[in-house]
Amino acid sequence: RLTSYWMVFSMLRLTSGFTMRSGCFFARGLFSRRQREAHSAPGWKLFGKVPPRESTPKDSRTIQQEYEAKTSKAGHSPPQPTSGRRKNLQFEPLSTTALILEERPANLPAKPEEEAQRHRQEYNEMVAEAKKRELKEAQKKKQQMKERFRQEESIASAMVVWNTEILPNWDSMRSTRKVKDLWWQGLPPNVRGRVWSLAIGNDLNITAGILTLKSLWRSYVESIREFGASMADRESSLDLIKLDISRTFPSLYIFQKGGPYHDLLHSVLGAYTCYRPDVGYVQGMSFIAAVLILNLEEADAFIAFANLLNKPCQMAFFRVDHELMLKYFAAFEVFFEENLPRLFSHFKSSGLTPDLYLIDWIFTLYSKSLPLDVACRVWDVFCRDGEEFLFRTGLGMLRLYEDTLLCMDFIHVAQFLTRLPDDVSAERLFASIACTQMTSGNRKWSQVFSALMKDKEMDKSGSPCLKSS
Amino acid sequence: MAYAYLFKYIIIGDTGVGKSCLLLQFTDKRFQPVHDLTIGVEFGARMITIDGKQIKLQIWDTAGQESFRSITRSYYRGAAGALLVYDITRRDTFNHLTTWLEDARQHSNSNMVIMLIGNKSDLESRREVKKEEGEAFAREHGLIFMETSAKTASNVEEAFINTAKEIYEKIQEGVFDINNEANGIKIGPQHAATNSSLAGGQGGQQAGGGCC
Repeated sequence: RLTSYWMVFSMLRLTSGFTMRSGCFFARGLFSRRQREAHSAPGWKLFGKVPPRESTPKDSRTIQQEYEAKTSKAGHSPPQPTSGRRKNLQFEPLSTTALILEERPANLPAKPEEEAQRHRQEYNEMVAEAKKRELKEAQKKKQQMKERFRQEESIASAMVVWNTEILPNWDSMRSTRKVKDLWWQGLPPNVRGRVWSLAIGNDLNITAGILTLKSLWRSYVESIREFGASMADRESSLDLIKLDISRTFPSLYIFQKGGPYHDLLHSVLGAYTCYRPDVGYVQGMSFIAAVLILNLEEADAFIAFANLLNKPCQMAFFRVDHELMLKYFAAFEVFFEENLPRLFSHFKSSGLTPDLYLIDWIFTLYSKSLPLDVACRVWDVFCRDGEEFLFRTGLGMLRLYEDTLLCMDFIHVAQFLTRLPDDVSAERLFASIACTQMTSGNRKWSQVFSALMKDKEMDKSGSPCLKSS
Repeated sequence: MAYAYLFKYIIIGDTGVGKSCLLLQFTDKRFQPVHDLTIGVEFGARMITIDGKQIKLQIWDTAGQESFRSITRSYYRGAAGALLVYDITRRDTFNHLTTWLEDARQHSNSNMVIMLIGNKSDLESRREVKKEEGEAFAREHGLIFMETSAKTASNVEEAFINTAKEIYEKIQEGVFDINNEANGIKIGPQHAATNSSLAGGQGGQQAGGGCC
């Protein structure tokens, strides 16, 4: 809805310049059509010295008309009759730049000089503006192409650096400034999985040798059969996994039944509930497992999955440890207020607590709420910086949309943040994250968080919504 | 847009029973056969008319998995209406109604109107819970009851609107204290202006759709 407002708004801006000044509105196509006429037909004069576009191919008809124009000029012949114009109107539209000031038909009395002068001036302004706009657009397009090219180049060269310099010397290089900077730019897709694996580590010491997912899975299914009703809980989580897989990235059509990764996702999740029955399957896990499967081999995906979920923040959330989650939200609010005081107080007065949007973002590590390529970039730096970056990303998001959010009421903010626009660009988001400082006073995230952990009588006003339970 | 009242609703029930699909059908009039799963809570809003009055429904659509209960529990607070949904093709979702109801009664205000919904009525061939069972459960616990289909839109409109009618009647009868926001009801901005007791309240903040 929001975007359409903007579209209407910008369309109005686009058209108002013409309609208001000229009194009559030409469609884009008509302008361009007339440009070519202008170069050819007599009786049409092009003001503003707009040169014909270089890209304009001259077809035979143009050439003929140019010839006609020349000859008629040479002979000082009067403007061509209307029929000539009609013929010219068959040309294809080319650009918006060339507006033509039409001379008055011969059968009408001449304009007073003053009026003609004014019209000429208005006309010149219109042409200048249209030209400016067109130039701007062309520049923008060129910039975009350049940007894309630059990105592809940098990905290619980054890939070489990762493969030949960094990965072979991982332990000594991972914390260097150079690597960290390169890391921020986004990992090239074909080293992404490996870097994630290395960064997440394997503190749990899961070895691919002992563990094959299939054997784990088989023992899991068997244990359910064996214990029957007493395993009702596990059985229901088995059903739940089945149900949720069909609802995990449904638009990709690869995890759904019959899709290439359906069984794999199923066995990663099933194996995990067997490996960690104390945690079990919790909704949100299917998204994390799916993203890992997209970037890693089967066994590596499982190892990364189990180790990732074992991190303190993920454990707190997937165990739905309420007290701990509240601490994370409270820490988030400390940095929220520090970075975006206006928005912070707007949220406060609307009764909008961070749990409403953070739960979805943190549980799925943004993979459900952001476009997948953007989410992967968030994962990249999450692997580099740890949990802090998840909350920093959240603040970056709020900063990116701050102006919009400031004019929304509770329900609109809540809807907006739980269903983010699907065109979030990685560049803009990361620029906004880069502006987000994770220091409060002199304290870093970890310090703020551990201070909150020590604070037993934590002021629960941070998340009044969760207080009652 | 201006409204006379704002009601907060919460949709609860087991995972996969179609809570988000019911909401989508009600707010957008469309059905998504494969819906994303809900983590935490999602939101919807729509304006309806009852007794010639504009009423804005602010709907909280919650995650259904048992693990999330402790989170969603806190969202009952300040809800005027609840839609408790089960899936007529999955008996276990019907069997869990008692715990859902206990939860709802314990964590909401006592006047909250609860509508029991047996969803997926289009899947008659796979039905596991008879309509009479739903009716009996509703009677026993003092709930309103309807079978709906988010897919065909059957009874969806009615489920949301009948709940609002019940809340509206309670307001008319004076059961709800509309000046206490904990009841999940807010008076619309233009109405609040004439009501001095609410002048400092939050009513005005919910006004309109914002400036963007």
